[in-house]
Amino acid sequence: MLLELKNTSVFYGKVQATHDVSISVPEGQIVTLIGSNGAGKSTTLRMISGLERPQTGDVLYDGESILSLPPEKITGIGIAHVPEGRRVFPQMTVMENLEMGAYLRSESKEMAHNLDLVFSHFPRLKERVSQHAGTMSGGEQQMLAMGRALMSNPKLVLMDEPTLGLSPIMCQEIAGIIKKINNNGRTIVLVEQNARLALALADYGYVLDTGEVVIEGVADKLREDDDIQKTYLGLG
Amino acid sequence: MGVDTIIQTIANALVLGSVYAMVAVGLAIAFGVMQMANFSHGELFMAGSYVVFVLYTLLGMPFLLAVILAFPIVAMIGLAFERLIFRPTRGNVLAGFMASAGAGFILQVLVGQQWGVGLMRTIQTPFPGGAEVLGASISYQRLLIFPATVIMVTGLWYFLTRVKAGKALRACAQDPEAAVLQGISLNKMTGLAMLLSGGFAGVGGALMAPIIPVTPYMGHTYAVTAFVIVIVGGMASIEGAVIAAFILGFIHTIVATLYDSVTATMVGVLFMAIVLILKPTGLMGRVKV
Repeated sequence: MLLELKNTSVFYGKVQATHDVSISVPEGQIVTLIGSNGAGKSTTLRMISGLERPQTGDVLYDGESILSLPPEKITGIGIAHVPEGRRVFPQMTVMENLEMGAYLRSESKEMAHNLDLVFSHFPRLKERVSQHAGTMSGGEQQMLAMGRALMSNPKLVLMDEPTLGLSPIMCQEIAGIIKKINNNGRTIVLVEQNARLALALADYGYVLDTGEVVIEGVADKLREDDDIQKTYLGLG
Repeated sequence: MGVDTIIQTIANALVLGSVYAMVAVGLAIAFGVMQMANFSHGELFMAGSYVVFVLYTLLGMPFLLAVILAFPIVAMIGLAFERLIFRPTRGNVLAGFMASAGAGFILQVLVGQQWGVGLMRTIQTPFPGGAEVLGASISYQRLLIFPATVIMVTGLWYFLTRVKAGKALRACAQDPEAAVLQGISLNKMTGLAMLLSGGFAGVGGALMAPIIPVTPYMGHTYAVTAFVIVIVGGMASIEGAVIAAFILGFIHTIVATLYDSVTATMVGVLFMAIVLILKPTGLMGRVKV
């Protein structure tokens, strides 16, 4: 397992956000966390990045606990986080945003290589290197946020709601790129409200409800599950 | 009003705007990165003046060397404030306000105990005389301030837009959490911000030391004006702070020439109110995402 969450519980003050969440992410796969708003999906991702600390449980990366690492160190061991709402640096150019993504990998040869890779996934970013990120459309900002994450050459990419607020066409484009990034050998943990899209992309899925894992299984099986179809895919 | 008076006013305004820019830029950087206002910023300015008083007047070092040394010395005070005040109170605006204001008082008392309270320290200008420009006269001491500001603000600009650490500083100011996710250490960046902030305030105070009365409480008026400038300029915006500094420099100088300096301060605050009514984020306010 590349990443393992063992019985993790996160509290915001006295409010418990997640209960006893255990998740396994095998190397090379796309694992998705789906569920409604407030189910604890983002909290779980933020905990992996070190932005939140679990009160109980453990987070293992490559078999070792990473709970003691501050978030800026977690980036350094190969985990990149594409945050919810894109969170690009609005008053910096596309190029500067990408440079920040390469903050820990700024050796020029390596950076040029990662930059080529990002531009091959997102040709649109190459056309806009000197544009301020804040003036771009939501879809372009999402591409930039993903490109910025890839600049650290991560083994594991955490994506939080990458298609939120995007047009159906843009959603498909982003989905295609997620698949491509995965085909490049990167493991992905995908948090999505768009369960249909997430399960189509993923190998394995976990359904969270009010902070607990309620169902888990192979993505194709989950898609055919009656309960999931009714509750999360709007069918039935 | 004759041509000479107009030239004189413009020259005075440029000099005053330069000093304001030097003080306000530091405040804006610190606020941008820490999301907390440093209420002891005026005392960092005062510390810069006392560096010149001690090194130049008491110890006889060359004036320009004392000014240059004011940068690292006051920068270290800024760094100490970051470690002892802003890091422990991060995210708690009220605690940061009280602790930083308290630190300002402590600095005033320390300086007062060492070199006296209420007694004005007179610092001889190392550059007596002045230049005559179209009938207006400006002392060389004041004339020095404008190019010094241009050099320092340009240097800062280069650092923030061309150097990796400077870009990381801007990234932190725009979105601290996203910056941390790129592997940027927030603690290092807040430390760097306070180093720069202290250094700029220190050099501002050092350059002004021969011109204005040097007392432990001298920083207050400059800090108030710097806050007005930073609010007008758009809190975390460095461009905004520089532009607003020169606007305030002109407003203060023109009103003070026509009326008096108390009225000038009032008009300055009124200007801030008008800007905030028309554009609540300030002139160059940050883009809200």
